[in-house]
Amino acid sequence: MRWMEESDDSIRRAILSGDKEAYKVLMARYTQIVFGVTYRITGNESDAEEAVQEVFLRGYQSLATFQGRSSMATWFYRIAANCALAVVAKRRPEAQSRIAEENDPERSEVQLADIKAGPDRLLLSREIEATQQAAMGELTPTERTAFVLRHMEDRTTEEIAAALNIAPNAAKQAVFRAVQKLRRQLAPLWVNT
Amino acid sequence: MGKHMKHLEEAELVEHYYKESANMGEIDRHLKACPVCAEQYAELCRILEAVATPTPPARMEDYIEQVWQSIDASLPVYEKPRSSWMRYHRPLGWAAACLLLVAVTFVAGRRWERKQASSVAVAVDPQARQRVVIVFLGNHLDRSERLLVQLNHADGNDLSALPLRSEARELLASNRLVRQSEMQAGNLKVEASLDRLERLLMELSNEPDSLTEADLNRLRQEMNTDGLLFDIRVLRSRVNSPGPEQQSAPKATKGVPI
Repeated sequence: MRWMEESDDSIRRAILSGDKEAYKVLMARYTQIVFGVTYRITGNESDAEEAVQEVFLRGYQSLATFQGRSSMATWFYRIAANCALAVVAKRRPEAQSRIAEENDPERSEVQLADIKAGPDRLLLSREIEATQQAAMGELTPTERTAFVLRHMEDRTTEEIAAALNIAPNAAKQAVFRAVQKLRRQLAPLWVNT
Repeated sequence: MGKHMKHLEEAELVEHYYKESANMGEIDRHLKACPVCAEQYAELCRILEAVATPTPPARMEDYIEQVWQSIDASLPVYEKPRSSWMRYHRPLGWAAACLLLVAVTFVAGRRWERKQASSVAVAVDPQARQRVVIVFLGNHLDRSERLLVQLNHADGNDLSALPLRSEARELLASNRLVRQSEMQAGNLKVEASLDRLERLLMELSNEPDSLTEADLNRLRQEMNTDGLLFDIRVLRSRVNSPGPEQQSAPKATKGVPI
């Protein structure tokens, strides 16, 4: 493709001059970043894919407003976090996971093994993963997104605040509440190990 | 140690874990000194380090194309923007155009005003116009008088040497101008004399190259060149004499039809 060697800004100007196909180059450059963050925030593939479509649609529509104050990667990253948050918020009522009893046939949610019954470290690891998923489901969309950006994407408080359109202090509080909830859920796994 | 020590808040521990604490060194020292907080912090680290970062599943090769297909119909083609000069300088351009218009209007106005003023000046100043007419008329009458003198005194020997016909042709053009001017000015007596002169000049201009003494005599008689010469002299004397009253109201002269 002829735009492969061009800078993001050159491609952006080409798109704004009517070369719609040039947008594919930007998509190719940032799909991995966008899919990664949307997948971590939404927690599942189909929601992440839905968010990716929304990210690139919204990105194209607001390309004219991109002023280059941050890199295009950061710009797409913010849109991705925002779109993933919207998808999580939309899915949350029906997708909310709960910690269920092992033998409850009515519930298909993530089930936790009894720590006392399985002291094996491998089993513990699996249990931690399952509990983590369940605990993440307990977070509000904002807490979940803020935690993913802070803990998994290693973003600063300011970057999280910018992505979520909230104040830095609110972003810090969202991360703290997420950690508190995860700690409460996960701490019992280490008891008596 | 630790009996009166204030323990760290959970939020401070979380901040410290993500290295966003404003006083990292102080908290580090506290954690070394306080086993309670150190235990709390160790547990927090253990839990957060266990929280795995999910690895997104690999995408198919044509994933980007799939996404493109799903959004393509919703993406409008951007219209090519106007040139950056126009975009950023359009207001400046309008201002420049307005300034140019004002300048052109001003200059045109000044020129028109000047032209009007000069034409009005000529039209309004009759003395200036009169001076021009007098000078031109005086010159014309001088030349006409000389021609008539030559015509009256010429004989058959030197006719070919006299430039009567060519001089008559030149005077004919100027005489028409002067006569029309006098007619427009209402000087009908002067205009009548100039009319007689014009007829003579026309006859003389149309004479053949080989002008004979008989031709001259015929002209002298038919055109009364002696009387015409007298009229021209009277006219010339009045034109050259000062005093506007003399020009506007010439005294009646015996035998002079003006």
